Formats: sequence, structure tokens, C-alpha cells
Amino acid sequence: MRKLLDGHNLVDRDWIYGLMTQSNLFNRKERGGKIFVSPDYNQTMEQQREITMKRIWYLLENGVFKGWLTESGPEAELRKLALLEVCGIYDHSVSIKVGVHFFLWGNAVKFFGTKRHHEKWLKNTEDYVVKGCFAMTELGHGSNVRGIETVTTYDPTSEEFVISTPCESAQKYWIGGAANHATHTIVFSQLHINGTNQGVHAFIAQIRDQDGNVCPNIRIADCGHKIGLNGVDNGRIWFDNLRIPRENLLNAVADVSSDGKYVSAIKDPDQRFGAFMAPLTSGRVTIASSAIYSAKVGLATAIRYSLSRRAFSVTANGPEVLLLDYPSHQRRLLPLLAKTYAMSFAANELKMIYVKRTPETNKAIHVVSSGFKSVLTWHNMRTLQECREAVGGQGIKTENLVGQLKGEFDVQTTFEGDNNVLMQQVSKALFAEYVSCKKRNKPFKGLGLEHMNSSRPVLPTQLTSSTLRCSQFQTNVFCLRERDLLEQFTSEVAQLQGRGESREISFLQSHQLAEDLGKAFTEKAILQTILDAEAKLPAGSVKDVLGLVRSMYTLISLEEDPSLLRYGYLSRENVGDVRREVSKLCGELRPHALALVTSFGIPDSFLSPIAFNWVEANAWSSV
Amino acid sequence: MAVEMASHSQVLVEEKSGVRILTLNRPKQLNALSFQMISRLLQLCLAYEEDPSVKLVILKGLGRAFCAGGDVAAVVRDIKQGNWRLGANYFSDEYILNYVMATYSKPQVSILNGIVMGGGAGVSVHGRFRIATENTVFAMPETALGLFPDIGASYFLSRLPGFFGEYVGLTGARLDGAEMLACGLATHFVPSKRLTALEADLCRVGSSDPTFASTILDAYTQKPRLKQQSAYRRLDVIDKCFSRRTVEEIISALEREATQEADGWISATILSLKKASPASLKISLRSIREGRLQGVGQCLIREYRMVCHVIKGEISKDFVEGCRAILVDKDKNPKWEPRRLEDMKDSMVEKYFTRVEEEGEWEDLKLPARKNLPAIAISKL
Repeated sequence: MRKLLDGHNLVDRDWIYGLMTQSNLFNRKERGGKIFVSPDYNQTMEQQREITMKRIWYLLENGVFKGWLTESGPEAELRKLALLEVCGIYDHSVSIKVGVHFFLWGNAVKFFGTKRHHEKWLKNTEDYVVKGCFAMTELGHGSNVRGIETVTTYDPTSEEFVISTPCESAQKYWIGGAANHATHTIVFSQLHINGTNQGVHAFIAQIRDQDGNVCPNIRIADCGHKIGLNGVDNGRIWFDNLRIPRENLLNAVADVSSDGKYVSAIKDPDQRFGAFMAPLTSGRVTIASSAIYSAKVGLATAIRYSLSRRAFSVTANGPEVLLLDYPSHQRRLLPLLAKTYAMSFAANELKMIYVKRTPETNKAIHVVSSGFKSVLTWHNMRTLQECREAVGGQGIKTENLVGQLKGEFDVQTTFEGDNNVLMQQVSKALFAEYVSCKKRNKPFKGLGLEHMNSSRPVLPTQLTSSTLRCSQFQTNVFCLRERDLLEQFTSEVAQLQGRGESREISFLQSHQLAEDLGKAFTEKAILQTILDAEAKLPAGSVKDVLGLVRSMYTLISLEEDPSLLRYGYLSRENVGDVRREVSKLCGELRPHALALVTSFGIPDSFLSPIAFNWVEANAWSSV
Repeated sequence: MAVEMASHSQVLVEEKSGVRILTLNRPKQLNALSFQMISRLLQLCLAYEEDPSVKLVILKGLGRAFCAGGDVAAVVRDIKQGNWRLGANYFSDEYILNYVMATYSKPQVSILNGIVMGGGAGVSVHGRFRIATENTVFAMPETALGLFPDIGASYFLSRLPGFFGEYVGLTGARLDGAEMLACGLATHFVPSKRLTALEADLCRVGSSDPTFASTILDAYTQKPRLKQQSAYRRLDVIDKCFSRRTVEEIISALEREATQEADGWISATILSLKKASPASLKISLRSIREGRLQGVGQCLIREYRMVCHVIKGEISKDFVEGCRAILVDKDKNPKWEPRRLEDMKDSMVEKYFTRVEEEGEWEDLKLPARKNLPAIAISKL
């Protein structure tokens, strides 16, 4: 099962786990006779930033980052993703620092830039000769990249671009790496050529020299202490008419000639922007995946704890009952476990389609990654909260990780695109697809909408246990929900437009249907990935257990979604049947709980001490 | 005090109040573990666990060795007669013994007053207390034989400081008593002339609570200085090189270090890697890396799969060839196949870690259920 869940590069992951446990830099400690490695979150902000950099140097010296930019192809990319995931399991700050340098700065050079940029920067980035960061977000603009206010003009006499921050809301904000360490940055800015705003473009600017002094015409301030992720030195940047050579424009999509003419192969500014932003999908892919690993750490800890901790007896002189033997405790944790499993397959599938991407698949990847990033990061936050509560007071101790991870991973729900905005993009894409297919009278193809070409599924009125667990039924409900919500959404928008509203305003007013639709689309896409994984397995115990997990995922999703009753997909009796089936599944998954969390493949030393002998870990002899 | 001595017994047993003293008795073969010795040790250990009058078990060897290893020559004979399953049974019994010792609910004190290698480590290092002396010579020499450090070595080697475990397991380097103590393979160091007194004191423990034995041992233990050229003084180089991802990269890292300084120790290390079986090196490295993240039971289950593939000889026949060159013909010139590291592909390495496909008959190692485990054993699981 571990092979299924981790999916790829198991030996590489084990190597990094080993590098971390065997070094003194990763805060090794012994608790209850076992070794644990986790960052000391009690260090000051400055200490955390310094030790994070030291950890990255150590990994660099060991060749962990070899080929991350100079090699290409799905195999190399999957290896990078696996190594990054292990970094994130240890500490989100490490993976963010590494991610900003390689996946944001490095990938920008690779995909927005051309040969001259690759030759000048890629190897130096891999070797950390330059330390890169990514200045896109501003104080006044985050999710709305197109609205950023930094302005760049061109000076043909000196053949330089001039970058400036015209007002305070235009200052770059939250730039990871900028406050202390970064020497270079990608700068996103509006490009004004001959009085025309050609839209958002990306440039390379040096912000520090090799001695660490900030370069002239640049001001940098610290974003300050955060509720988590204090190993990342986020900075704020102002550009005071900073001059950079013309060659520093990353010109894969558009260019400016030496005499100041703007040229681009893509004429339509919207399309150009889309092509431009396509490489940033990698961020959503890595975030979705790391959110699920964080949830796995939380669940492995909470479930293992609940298998050794007892509270209250249910008989007069009987022994106290194990937490996980309480139906209520099962109900709190096991559905989250099933969702985490399903989403783990979804994250892996997303990685696979990402590394094998082609220009044709880019649009679908954009939609799916937006949905997965949102749903998986929200799920992680919810799971961590539940796990924190499920382990009681021990979850308040920083060293026990479960509670601390909430602060460390919270940012995932709003960076790289606010989740709510991303989900709207999902519904807008589905809307556009629907309208386009209806208009051209063509069958649906892509985005998993093919089921709309067949007749509307009819759900049985009697829902027995075997029906509820049948994959065909489960697929039908999810398809029906998606179909109906899509039809309702497009119909409501059309109605509003019919009354004279613009399309944009109509979308805003139909936002509730849009949210329901985005969620329905994403949950169905997730279901498909776990079904696919299950189908590939030979008959046997692993397949059987995975079937239970899959049913739990489906049924808990249905139980928690008011749409089913609100729009009448299921009757009140049916909804009661679903709820009862969830409870039944809790009991059936209970004996597999330990095996299921062990299959996450996260080494014991990366979990919390309370997942093991928490009595011994707290013994007086270890004080 | 009852002293039992069956004249043909390969494991001598003495009872001294609450203590049982087991002595390995095959001095001509340096106490190499035969199938009978393993069965007898397992039988005794399990009995002592159930017997409340037994508080402590002492294990030692007769003659100049503690135990030089498992009886691999016998296994090779079985393989040559087409009987790899007999060999597999030997290893499964041995690994079960290792597991029982690793999860033993009473303290075991092993007195390593001589050679302790391979299988000898398996019946001592997993126990609670290991006493090294000035006569101790430890090694895991399997990669020179076409095998790999088994007997749960992937568990304890991987837990040595830094990447010392990879160094010890891949090179087969010899460690003395001081080095064993320094790296944690031994828990105490007692000069051999004090062993008789130590044994007498240990025989007075009245409880299986390990703190009693610990207090006695702490009174006898010393901290000998590491020798000047000790490998344990070179941890910076060892960590730098043996942390690399692959065997090839480990060797290149060592060769780079060798250019910085003309150093006999680095050259000797490179030489032992170059002489070892390439197949063994690669599966050993992966075994130690995986074992670092697993409990001792999982390690033994995994090692059992690996050893079955080794003795089946379908991917490489280096085990038979290694035993021939080192133990039988003693020409010390094994012809490994594959001969070069590059020819040992990842897909071939992967096979050693999979279940054995046999006509329905083969099963994963079945470890006995253990109860009443002390906290230290729980942490190993």
C-alpha cells in the first residue's frame, strides 16, 4: 500500500529521510527510546531562518538538488517532486525555501526565459551560486496578478528597462527569501512600451551582491514574524527606477527589440497572459501534494495515539476504553483518513499529468490543479484541527507537531491563488466548456464531462448497503450532482444575463451555485483517481480495504454536502441511509486503521512522539 | 548452583541462582552458529522468558572467539545440492532468534571477548547489554562473500551515528572494543582480566529489572581511548562520503577525498569496496537505508526476502562464488557476476526486495507474537 500511496521514487525518499535523521542539523532528539527529528519551533525567527538555510546547504552538499534545472523529462521531474515532498514532511519552511528557489525562480528562468537565460542562470541556480526569489505579489494585489502596479518602461538610448514602484500598494510583499538571503529575483511588472501597456511581464533583477548588501535603487524590508513558516525570510521590495539590461526580460513569449519595439508571437493579450502563466501550475501541484502529506502526519499521529490512549469505562469495574473504540472518535477520524487516501491518489494523478503535460493538456491541468489545490489544502486544515482536538492536551505541545502544523500550513489556503478564487475559476471553466459545446452542438470532451453525453443517471430509491458501496452507484451520484449543478449554474447565469446583467456580474450573483459546482467537480475528479487505483489492483486484501476506503470517501462526501437534499438528488430516507452506512464503515475500517496509517510510509522519526510510547516519552527519567 | 554439561552440547548451560550462563561451544569453528546451536538458543531463550526464576541471561563463547558468524559453508553445501530451501530454513530460524533477542523482556548480557562477526553480532547486538574487551574484533564481512549484512544488521547499523553504519556494512571494516563502545555497538568495556569478577557480581542480581545489571556493569566499565588511526576518528570523511545516494557516488566521493590527502585509511576503504561483490554492495546499501526507517521486525522480514533471493542465485550467484573464494578454495579471488557496479542495474537490485515467487510454497518470515515487552523493545518494533 505504501508503494501505491507514495507512487514514485521510494528509494530517493528513503535516502533523504536518512540524510535528515543522521545529521545533527535537523534537531534530533530521543523520546521514549525512539529518535525523532522535527524543527525546534521555539527558536527565534532569525534562528529559524538561519538553520533552515543551513539545512538546505547540507542537502545541497549531498547532491540532493543535482539536475533539478538542468535535467528534463517526466522521470527527472517526478524525482524532484518526491525530494521536495520529503523536505515538506520534515518542515514546511524548508520546502518553501527550496520551492521558491527552484520551482519559482528556477522554473521562471527555464520556461519564461530563452537560451541566453538558461546558459547564464540555470547551473548557477542549481549550485546555489545565485539565490533566487520571485517578486510577483504586491501589497495591493495577490490573486489578481494582472492588476499588479509595478511599472517597467524601456530606455532605448541605454537599452535598459527601468522598473519602479509607483505607490505604496505596489510594493512587493511576502517575497520568500528576499528579507535575508536572496541575491536575484524575478520581477513581475506591467510593461509600458511607447505609451502602451503591454501587460504583465517578467524580468530578472539582482537585489543583493555576493557579500549580501542590498543593491542600489532597491529597498527591502522584512515582513516580520508570522503565525508559522518562520524559517522563511519573507521580504518586501521597492524599486526606485532600477535599471536592468534589456536581456533581462524573460522573452519566451514576448520581446522588446533594442530600438524599443514590442513583439510577440501571441497577438491576443489574454492568450499571451495564459501562456505566460502556464508554468506556474507546478506551484499548485506541489502545494496539493504537500497538503496531503501534512494531513497524513496529523492522522498517523492522532490515530496511533487513539490506539493506545484510554479514557472512561463503559462498564462498572471494566477497563477504560481505547479512544478509537468509541464510535464518536472513529467518526471524527476515519472519514478524514478515507478522504486523505482518496486525495492522495488525486495528488499523485495530478503530478503524473503535470509531468507529462503538453500544450493541449495545459487548460485541463489548470482547471484540475485549481480544484485540487483548493480542496486538498482546505482538507488539510480541517484534518489538522480535528487531529489536534483528538489528541487533547498533547496537541497543544509544540513538540508534538499536530497543533503546530496548523500555523505552518495555513498559508496554503491563500497563496498561489486564494482557494475561493481558484474554485471560481473551476466553475467559470466548466461554464465556458458547457456554453461552447451547446453552441456548437458538439459532444462534451475533456474535463471529465463526457458523462453528460449520456442520459441522466437515475438513482435507485431504495439504497441498500451493497448499492451504496457499489462503484457504479457512487459514480452516478457524483455525475448527477455535477451535471445538475452545471445546468443550474449556466441556466441561472443565462437568466441574469437575460435581465441585462453582464456576464461577470451574473457570475458574482450566482456564486453559491458556482461554489457547489466547483466542489462537485473536484470531488468527482478525486473519486475517479481512487477508483482507477483500485481497479489496477489484483483481487486481494489490499484491494478490499481500498474499496472500503473509497466507499467511505464517497459516502462521507455525500453526507456532508447539503446539495443532495437541497436539490433533491437523494430523499430524506436516502440521506439517512448514507449516514448509517458511514457509521457502519467506521466500524469496518477500525481494524485496519493502524495498517492504513502505517502505509503512509512516513518514518516513525518524522511523526510526533505521542504516536508511540507517550508515557515513556514523558517519564521523569527523561526530564 | 547446578551445572549442566552435555559433552556433545554445542551450547553449554550453567545455572547460578537467577542467572543463566550460555556458552557457545564450538571453539574449533570459532563458535560459528550451526543449525543446532540456533535451535537450542531459541529454545532456551523462550523458556527463560516464561520462567520467573530466571532474571538475567549471559551469553559468551569458549576459546578465542565469541562467535565468528553463521555456518554459511553448510548453506552453500545445501545450495549446491539444489536445496536452497534448507538454507532458507537456516536463515529463518536464525532471524527469529535475532527477533526474540531484540524484543526480549529480560536483560541479556553478551560478553564479546574475542571475534564477533556476522551471525555472532546477530545473537549479541540485539540484546540489552554488550560487553567489549581488549580482545574484541567486530566486523560485518558479508559484502566480501557475496552476501549482505543480515541478522537484523540493517536495523542496528543504520542507527549508528551519521553514516558509520553504511561504512561498516559496505566495507566489512573491523572494529575493536574501544570503537564498538564509541559508536554504540557495545554498551560497556571491561578488561578481560576482570570478566570473572564481573560474572560473579552479575550472578547476584535478584531482579529482571535492567537497572540492577546496569549498575553492576557501570561499576566495571571503562572508556578506552580510540587508537590513533581509528576509522571512528574519521567520521567527517565517512559522513561526507557514505551519505551519497549510490555506491558509485560513495566511491567517487572517497576518491575525491583521497586526492586531497595521501591517506592509507581512505585507500584501504576504497580498495575493500572495489573488491566486494557489486551486487552485494548495492543491495546492502539499500537494505541499510530502508532499515533506518523500519522497526527490527520489518528489517528481518525484508532481510529474509533478500537472503532467499541471494541463495536462490537467480539474479547473481556471488554468494556461492564468494564462499568458494574466501572459505573453501581460499584463493581470495572471487569472480563476481555482474563484475562492475554499472552492470548491477536498479531493476536487478529491486528484485531482491520483492516476495519470492515460488510454486505457491514460499512465505514471508513469520515472527512470533511477543507480549510483556519492555519499553526499550517497543521502541525497536
